[in-house]
Amino acid sequence: MRARVVITGVGVVSAAVTGDSAALGAFLVAPFAPTARALGAGAVAALIDPGESRRLSRVCQFTIAAARLALRESGLDPAAGLGLVVGTEFGDLASTHAFADGFLARGHGGLSALLFPNTVMNTMVATTAIAVGARELALTLNAPTVAGELAVARATAAVASGRVPAVLAGGVDELDPVVERELERFGFDAERRSEGAAFLVLEPRVAAEARGAPVLGEISAAAWRALPARPWGVGRTCRSPAIEAVLEAAGARAADLGWVYASGSCDDARDRWEEQVLGAALGSVAPVSTLGRLLGRHAGLGVLRVAAGAWTARSGLLPATDGATRVERVRPGRGLVHGLARGGTHVALVVDAA
Amino acid sequence: MTQVVVTGLGAVSPYGVGVAEYWKGLAGGACAIRDLTLIETDGFRCRLAAEVPQPLAGSTRRTRADRLAIAAAGEALADAGLGTRDCAAAALVVGAVGGGMLEAEAWYWRTARAGVRPASLAALRAVLPSAHAETLGSRFRLGGPRHTVVTACSSGAVALAEASELIAAGVVDVALAGGVDAITRICFMGFNALKLLDTAPCRPFDRERRGMSIGEGAGFMVLEAEARARARGARVYATLAGHGMTTDAFHVTAPEPEGDGMMRAMRAALAGGGITPAEVQYANAHGTGTPQNDRIEARALARVFGEGGLLVSSSKSMIGHTMAAAGSLEAIATVLALGHDLVPPTANLATPDPDVPFDCVPRAARAARLGCAISNSFGFGGQNVTLLFRRGVA
Repeated sequence: MRARVVITGVGVVSAAVTGDSAALGAFLVAPFAPTARALGAGAVAALIDPGESRRLSRVCQFTIAAARLALRESGLDPAAGLGLVVGTEFGDLASTHAFADGFLARGHGGLSALLFPNTVMNTMVATTAIAVGARELALTLNAPTVAGELAVARATAAVASGRVPAVLAGGVDELDPVVERELERFGFDAERRSEGAAFLVLEPRVAAEARGAPVLGEISAAAWRALPARPWGVGRTCRSPAIEAVLEAAGARAADLGWVYASGSCDDARDRWEEQVLGAALGSVAPVSTLGRLLGRHAGLGVLRVAAGAWTARSGLLPATDGATRVERVRPGRGLVHGLARGGTHVALVVDAA
Repeated sequence: MTQVVVTGLGAVSPYGVGVAEYWKGLAGGACAIRDLTLIETDGFRCRLAAEVPQPLAGSTRRTRADRLAIAAAGEALADAGLGTRDCAAAALVVGAVGGGMLEAEAWYWRTARAGVRPASLAALRAVLPSAHAETLGSRFRLGGPRHTVVTACSSGAVALAEASELIAAGVVDVALAGGVDAITRICFMGFNALKLLDTAPCRPFDRERRGMSIGEGAGFMVLEAEARARARGARVYATLAGHGMTTDAFHVTAPEPEGDGMMRAMRAALAGGGITPAEVQYANAHGTGTPQNDRIEARALARVFGEGGLLVSSSKSMIGHTMAAAGSLEAIATVLALGHDLVPPTANLATPDPDVPFDCVPRAARAARLGCAISNSFGFGGQNVTLLFRRGVA
């Protein structure tokens, strides 16, 4: 018997919005594209004490801040058993550059034993596990574009199977000047990219209700698969095994979906492929929102879109992402969160109202 | 409950390409830790590592790590006898850390020193650990769930545990899973900076041990639902009977001193397999050769299995610490030990540490009747994984 999985906490740290589900809802009802892609200095100062901020890299601070916001809203006690699944595309690349630059500038004497652990991509999970006391399953998932929603899908499976009592599932990325410079040099700078972190607390519905936790939404099904494509390439196959799997698991038809959040981010070739995949699976029955065009892509955005899906399921409002700062009225209740990466990894989640 | 069995093995190790070479080296107690030639070592305290011997097969346009992964994964799929149709629905889970960092470092160094930029965006994209999964997925047309796990030195073992969960949950009935890493400058320099490398080949569980030796390689398994394997008449190497994954939540680089997270991982694996400690005869230890790891791991093993309760050995004494590949290469060693009733030794173990209350099989392999065995893998961030294998099928 698989447990029903609900969202009981949301934490978001981004250039547009920082806070819990209420802050996210306030943003979504009047969405806007922030002028800055990067988070300002001190963006997470209220959530990270001075000792931590001296010790932790910037991307680890984003991660811990968003995780704490989600846990605070949920009211969950990590001592009861908490897992942690974090998706990221680039990890702590800034520390990797700093470590290498130390050697290149000053030779052996420039090597930092303190920076080295940050060069491993699980450093955000390691520091967050310590900060919040998560002692069960802890995974870092690396993927382009869909790392955040992949983390939520994997965490949903862990909770549904009874593998862990609860999971903090999140995504995080930081803008990296070397990556940005090289993408621009090769003409891949049309895509809107940004930075930040987002987390959800996921737990079985019965456990959440028993402790009187806020139930913000339900993830009724989650799946991830691979479509044929060359590494970092855009494929041609439009049939989506992931969407088929979640519709079957949720006992839903395409017509039951009132809305869709997709992973469009102004990477035109990839965005077109996703439109074709969604069209083949769902037809044109549900309106589609692509927050990436507003907020910029980073691994936290995939998680934010799941939280936004829960908000849309409750409110019947869907942010328009055609450049206008407005919302559309849609059918509340069940909808789909979808992500498709270059290379073919794709993720689908059916999200319902609480 | 779906039983998960091992039906294919593939390895590229510091002994060379192939599972046969790997087992020959392990069973013979051959230490493959030598002078490091892949990267510059001038001025470093330690200049040793366990490299995969040259030449490597495959296009030089691919990263070294991708070439290691392709060779090992291809061997595992062929060994299992999986065809294109099987692969179309198979899951792929890859444990990785360094990605294509060896090549990225080369251009980063050239950029810093001579202003030379990478020739293509592909070179930049290949840096990421997820590049291996994209390469393998494309090459072998694997269409099931695909993901890349980064749990530091336990990544390869986590990949196997993750694939096992996908099969047990009924999401897929066959998966290719494992880990891969090539030696990189950052890894070599970082462990030097942490002063965790021995200047001699590492000596796990020796009283005089001084640290680890790094290595490289790739190890992949085909995991399959037992019913599917039986239906197609596949050879079954062993059953992956249970696994445990825990986190210390204690320190980024140091293990929790009492080994609590390690014990929880081992106990979860036993509970998952419905197997008592007394039924396990062998532990392929994480056994890095650092004073701290080996002492704490031995303490945790003693609390779970009792002092002297099983044979313990460290493959790292022979092939070094192959980072993200370690967990899967050592899982393969564990499966082969079960199949051959032969425990690979701990090489370079001359003076057993009195704080390690186990027979650590010094220097020569030991014949032993084995029914169940565990493989431990631990990583930075306190990431603990235990895989429990049982001979044959229950």
